[in-house]
Amino acid sequence: MFDNTFTPEQQMLHQMVKDFTAKEVAPFDMAIDQKGDFTDGLFQKLIDNGFLGLTLPEEYGGAAFDPIATATTINDLAYGNASVGVTLEGHYKTLDQLMKYGNENIQKEYLDSANHRIFAFSNTEPSGGSNPTGISSTAVKEGNKWIINGDKVMITNGGLAEVYIILVKSGENEFSCFLIDKDMPGFSFGKREDFIGLRGTPVGEVVMNNIEVSEDHLIGKRGQGLEIADQAHDDARILMGAVLTGIMEHALKIASDYAKQRKALDTPLTDLQVIQEKIANIAISKELTKLVYQQAAIRKQNGQPYMEEAAMAKTFGSRSAVKAGDDALQVLAGYGYSREYPIEHLIRDARALEIAEGTVEKMRTAIAKAEFEK
Amino acid sequence: MKIIVCLKQVPETNNVKIDPVTHNLQRNGISGVINSFDVNAIEAALELKDRYGAEVVALTMGPPDYEKTLRLAMAMGANEGVLLSSRGFAGADTLATATVLAAAVNKIGGADLILFGRQAVDADTGQVGPLVAEKLDLPQYTYVSKLNLSSDGQIDAVRMLDGGTVRVNGDLPAVATVRSELNEPRYATPRNIKLSFKKDIVVYDEKDLDLDDSEIGQAGSPTIVTKVYTPTATPKVTETLEGSAKEAAQNLLTKLSEKSIL
Ligand SMILES: Cc1cc2nc3c(=O)[nH]c(=O)nc-3n(C[C@@H](O)[C@H](O)[C@H](O)COP(=O)(O)OP(=O)(O)OC[C@H]3O[C@@H](n4cnc5c(N)ncnc54)[C@H](O)[C@@H]3O)c2cc1C
Ligand SMILES: Cc1cc2nc3c(=O)[nH]c(=O)nc-3n(C[C@H](O)[C@H](O)[C@H](O)COP(=O)(O)OP(=O)(O)OC[C@H]3O[C@@H](n4cnc5c(N)ncnc54)[C@H](O)[C@@H]3O)c2cc1C
Repeated sequence: MFDNTFTPEQQMLHQMVKDFTAKEVAPFDMAIDQKGDFTDGLFQKLIDNGFLGLTLPEEYGGAAFDPIATATTINDLAYGNASVGVTLEGHYKTLDQLMKYGNENIQKEYLDSANHRIFAFSNTEPSGGSNPTGISSTAVKEGNKWIINGDKVMITNGGLAEVYIILVKSGENEFSCFLIDKDMPGFSFGKREDFIGLRGTPVGEVVMNNIEVSEDHLIGKRGQGLEIADQAHDDARILMGAVLTGIMEHALKIASDYAKQRKALDTPLTDLQVIQEKIANIAISKELTKLVYQQAAIRKQNGQPYMEEAAMAKTFGSRSAVKAGDDALQVLAGYGYSREYPIEHLIRDARALEIAEGTVEKMRTAIAKAEFEK
Repeated sequence: MKIIVCLKQVPETNNVKIDPVTHNLQRNGISGVINSFDVNAIEAALELKDRYGAEVVALTMGPPDYEKTLRLAMAMGANEGVLLSSRGFAGADTLATATVLAAAVNKIGGADLILFGRQAVDADTGQVGPLVAEKLDLPQYTYVSKLNLSSDGQIDAVRMLDGGTVRVNGDLPAVATVRSELNEPRYATPRNIKLSFKKDIVVYDEKDLDLDDSEIGQAGSPTIVTKVYTPTATPKVTETLEGSAKEAAQNLLTKLSEKSIL
């Protein structure tokens, strides 16, 4: 396992996040799902303890942690509650693009506040998410300004986030990314999705009505939008692999603890092969998903391509986590099917990740294409 | 204001094994973590830092690996870390440990307050803090569950003991050993974790501390552990005195004087 190769810094962070999760996140897991929002004070605690600045450069008040530490942090938080992991995933993947593609002025203006303000990335429109060339939001250049119009939906952290990087059409068959913030005239929030899982994370709509921005707000070059959107997906998928590992660790813990104390007449559940098989399968899926997301993170850190590994982590991890939840439910049987236990919401949470950050169908296509090109 | 916090690294597991021959704790191969009560001591120091801008120094005696405990203290907010490390310190009992810690406190230039955990969770003696206080000839406040310092150099503490609490106050400098009831420790933040690994750690050995070989390590340790066991509890007997109030009182007086209590 890669865990053994953590640096002392990564190890200390790992321990801190596990402690934080045990005290501040896990006890509220059920309440978050039932409330359909983060419980009071939790989000502020994430801010106060510096989670938003995990990946930010030190000169902007951040911790400048690496991709492995970042993914491990998401994994550890998601073990407590998947929505907490996903909200930070949305933030980190957006910051990655601002740090990679943003010009110096926009970085200076916005990275400073990223320690306490949430960021989000948005391509999806009502017309569809899988095929970004089908979007209809536009940016039109007037003098040295850009005028942005359109409607973006299903944005992770939509409504909660204060800063957005959006993909728009900037010309005939030309796509570009821009940074906008919620205080700009013409910016408004639309509806929040009533999703069946990840209920702590707001996923919502942003409406752009003649938002005027300077050239500095163009992220990357004009026409580089699709590349940046793809890059954001790749970065996000590593972290989604981490979320899914956390969900499976959670399912495994519940199922294993339950099996250890439950008897079928005089036989402990742990002695039944049918139960052992389920526990083993959850453990195998959890470990494999973790190895793939860690592999992707290591490649990212080393400057090697990681598109395929990131897509594998999310594709394999998402179906595995749905199945792990299903297996865990079966171990608890009637109690597993009850809303009094967290398993049913783990299944709903995991299911989102067969869709968000690229559907598994699209990812299999991308993986196959990469293989054919070898 | 300056505060020194003494920290110990203990084995991560709850079932520490005892060497059958030497009766020492077997620490090999078990990764170490900070003694849990010591985290409360760090928090107490940091609260005073938040309030008075105190300078907080984390101090530990142990092998080079104990550095990570100092880094954790710095990641929580301590200003610096001092490691007392040398082959000569190995095999120290509570007395030899206290000798080295006291010498280090002097080397650092003393402090207004020296904090300890109430006890180490591996060996559980709770002796090191009090011994250091004696070595430095400072007043000591053990088992502290509430702690206040005033800017004019007074300490006001509540000691939580079996069956009651005692409020004590006096002058600084002083030594205090703290309980987990004292506070809820803060988390190390990711940024401070990163920064703590960029700081230098000062390392002193017996020469730096001007200590004689006979005072430290095995040679400076009079403790001989002959046997380690869980004591059997002797059940207490409760007796009810019958009769009228007067008879019972008479009866009680007789019994107390029989036991030489009166
Ligand atoms: C089974 C057993 C066998 C033992 N065998 C021997 C033996 O054979 N020979 C021997 O010499 N000793 C022996 N000891 C005692 C010795 O190893 C002590 O663990 C050690 O000296 C510290 O004492 P303590 O753990 O009781 O700490 P405590 O006095 O309980 O610690 C209280 C506080 O003092 C501080 N502190 C303690 N140690 C340090 C440190 N190193 N640096 C900074 N601060 C510190 C911390 O704040 C801690 O919370 C034995 C103990 C046990 C339980
Ligand atoms: C929890 C959650 C969070 C989200 N967060 C964000 C966010 O932060 N930002 C954002 O922009 N969007 C976000 N989305 C939207 C998400 O990216 C889209 O739902 C997703 O891209 C699919 O788009 P769609 O729902 O429009 O489905 P469609 O694109 O309409 O797809 C319908 C079906 O057709 C298949 N399909 C479509 N096109 C192809 C193709 N070319 N090849 C193979 N199969 C295809 C799909 O796999 C799917 O099965 C989020 C969604 C969820 C559920």
